[in-house]
Amino acid sequence: MDIDLSSTDLAFQQDVRNFLATNAYKNGTDYAEWRLNWFKQAREKGGWDVTKWPENFGGPGWSPTQHFIWEQETAVAQTPWDLPFGLSMLAPVLMTYGNEEQQNRFLPDIRDRRVNWCQGYSETNAGSDLANLKTKAVLSEDGTHYTVTGTKIWTTLAHIADWIFCLTRTSDSGKKQEGITFLLIPMKQAGIEVKPIITLGGSHTVNMVHLTDVKVPVENRVGAEGKGWGYAKGLLAHERTGLAGISKSLAALENLRKQASEVKRGNGTLLDDPNYRAKLAELEIDLLATEFTELRSLASAANGAEPGPESSILKLKGTEIQQRIQKLTVEAGGIYSAAWGPMPVGHLFARGGMSGYLSSRAYTIYGGASEVQRDVIAKNVLGIKKSQSK
Amino acid sequence: MNFDISSEQQILQDSVDRFVQDHYELDKRQLLVLTKQGFSNENWQTMAELGWLGVSVPEAHGGFGGNEIDTMILMEAFGKGLVLEPFLASTVLGAKAIADGGSEALKTEMLPGVVNGSRQLTFAYAEAQSRFDLEDIITHAKSDADDYVINGHKSMVLHAGSAQQIVVSTRTSGGQTEKAGISLFLIDADATGVEITSFPTVDGQQASEIKLNGVKVSSSRLLGEVDEGYELLNALATAGILALAAEAVGAMEILYKDTVAYTQEREQFDHALSDFQVLQHRMVDMFMEYEQCKSLLYRATLEVVQNSSGAQRSVHALKYYVGKMGTFIGENAVQLHGGMGTTEELRIGHYFKRLLVIDAQFGNSDHHLALFAA
Repeated sequence: MDIDLSSTDLAFQQDVRNFLATNAYKNGTDYAEWRLNWFKQAREKGGWDVTKWPENFGGPGWSPTQHFIWEQETAVAQTPWDLPFGLSMLAPVLMTYGNEEQQNRFLPDIRDRRVNWCQGYSETNAGSDLANLKTKAVLSEDGTHYTVTGTKIWTTLAHIADWIFCLTRTSDSGKKQEGITFLLIPMKQAGIEVKPIITLGGSHTVNMVHLTDVKVPVENRVGAEGKGWGYAKGLLAHERTGLAGISKSLAALENLRKQASEVKRGNGTLLDDPNYRAKLAELEIDLLATEFTELRSLASAANGAEPGPESSILKLKGTEIQQRIQKLTVEAGGIYSAAWGPMPVGHLFARGGMSGYLSSRAYTIYGGASEVQRDVIAKNVLGIKKSQSK
Repeated sequence: MNFDISSEQQILQDSVDRFVQDHYELDKRQLLVLTKQGFSNENWQTMAELGWLGVSVPEAHGGFGGNEIDTMILMEAFGKGLVLEPFLASTVLGAKAIADGGSEALKTEMLPGVVNGSRQLTFAYAEAQSRFDLEDIITHAKSDADDYVINGHKSMVLHAGSAQQIVVSTRTSGGQTEKAGISLFLIDADATGVEITSFPTVDGQQASEIKLNGVKVSSSRLLGEVDEGYELLNALATAGILALAAEAVGAMEILYKDTVAYTQEREQFDHALSDFQVLQHRMVDMFMEYEQCKSLLYRATLEVVQNSSGAQRSVHALKYYVGKMGTFIGENAVQLHGGMGTTEELRIGHYFKRLLVIDAQFGNSDHHLALFAA
């Protein structure tokens, strides 16, 4: 065991820094053009546009250490916006359970950032209890297509998505987890209606998606009918790891420290306030631990293991840390954290602080609520079984 | 010892509960939030007719002559409805400043209008650099014959956009953070040199930044003694804290009760959410902390009313605890409502936002913990 970077790793770190510096956005240039070119350049580096994809699908085949270096460096650099739905959530499912034709059809567009995906999982009565979903998919008599009817909720960015990957119910018999089928559905068609949901932070990111008699060709089914739950469960583990955001939190903590140093408090700044300093320190200690939990998880993944129970730890700890950073940002904003809207009053950061904090309350709810994550750890890691009543 | 309210106070409570029930359904409230003024003139008149706007105004000036307990009863009920009218700014803070610090002539001129609802007041104490320190004041007032001339910038002033008069804390001598050398004045909102810029706050209320550029005010508008305004300033902050804490307790009650109700209706994993012990215990904690906040509210309010020696420390304790537990109860109400809790559609989010703003007014929980420990 050691944590020093080898000379190869150090060279890689320099390579990453050079790449990020060379391809940094230049003010005044066209953002969209820069974005697509950034991914093109990253691709030419040998799969840096799809860092988490396996080598046989074009990924870079990095070691855990290299992944870690990449996370660290990109957290503090400006990289183009990117969405996880196609790239990190659907792609692994297609690679594992999709057929070759589906892989050839969907993966290149995901890789080129040409197509936006959204995730159609949750329903009004299928939140934490996802297997309770009711959106119906009925196979036509000739077996050529499904007819899908139902409503999905909390669908992030459905309003800009081209496609949705959807869990649907094809059978009501047996256990709830059986009879769930994984379908790929184009968004821009009659029968699909997207309604915005405005969240506490005042923003529109999530939606309700109503599907009414939507015809889906059977070629758009991933894997076997009724087996979608198993595919989705693997996907959830990927989603959870991705939600931890440790490197981003480390960068955010640094930023928060800087903001606090600009807030006057008596003769010094907020950073001189022992109480506030202690809260920053506690946060940093949690991050130091969680960073290494993530490294240990990456290392075991590199040995071929699927993301396992530690992904639940990461989701729990990672999202709680993000929320605490947001809370401390609000506290740093002081009286001005109460201001709302575009009015330029108080510290610049205070304006977004409260909105960020309110939005962050969803972090411990989506992708499996914290209570469910703890259930997962209790059951799968600690091996706790519910006793039968006597 | 007796924690029962009087029969008169019981009547007050019943009538304010009824007002909130009749006028403060969420949909109605959110329509008011969208208006420029941010509250209803009709509600304001109703409050005047019911005598609430004069609850703490001396009887000699047309008021009800009540104390902090009467205000507490009103504010707790307002907290249950997230009432928008500027009762805190005008009656609790503005009228108190005049009643405690104004000359007889000024009281006679100003207070009857406050009581009948035709005059609205507010209180400008914070500044951009002051954070939560009341005594950190740059805005200064310079004596000029029979007048004073005020220059400076006041921050986050509640409902200044609709107020006629503003109580302003200024420095007449001493260093920026000294408690000596502070003087309070009552200025007209439409006086030359007063520039008011209004904006909404997170909780759907209205606040303003106020620039004071050579604002002339007569020395007859001085509240309290010149250079010795800190005590009055602190008394106003105390009144503000007690009122906000009462409002917070009302909001907490809605949050924990809504959560208990929701978890009994919502089913997941073939059970009502309330069947899960981890959620039961969380709700028990929410309930307990609500009760603890209420206890500190009673303690601090009664000690202030009776002018006990420990009153100031209890006020710090109260504001610390209400800030901390308001966040705790609000965050968990959202968490236990799941996705629905994160939307604008349910009322709990709006109560949560109000509690967050209350924490940021008159010193947040850290600020009061430090003062308590000092």
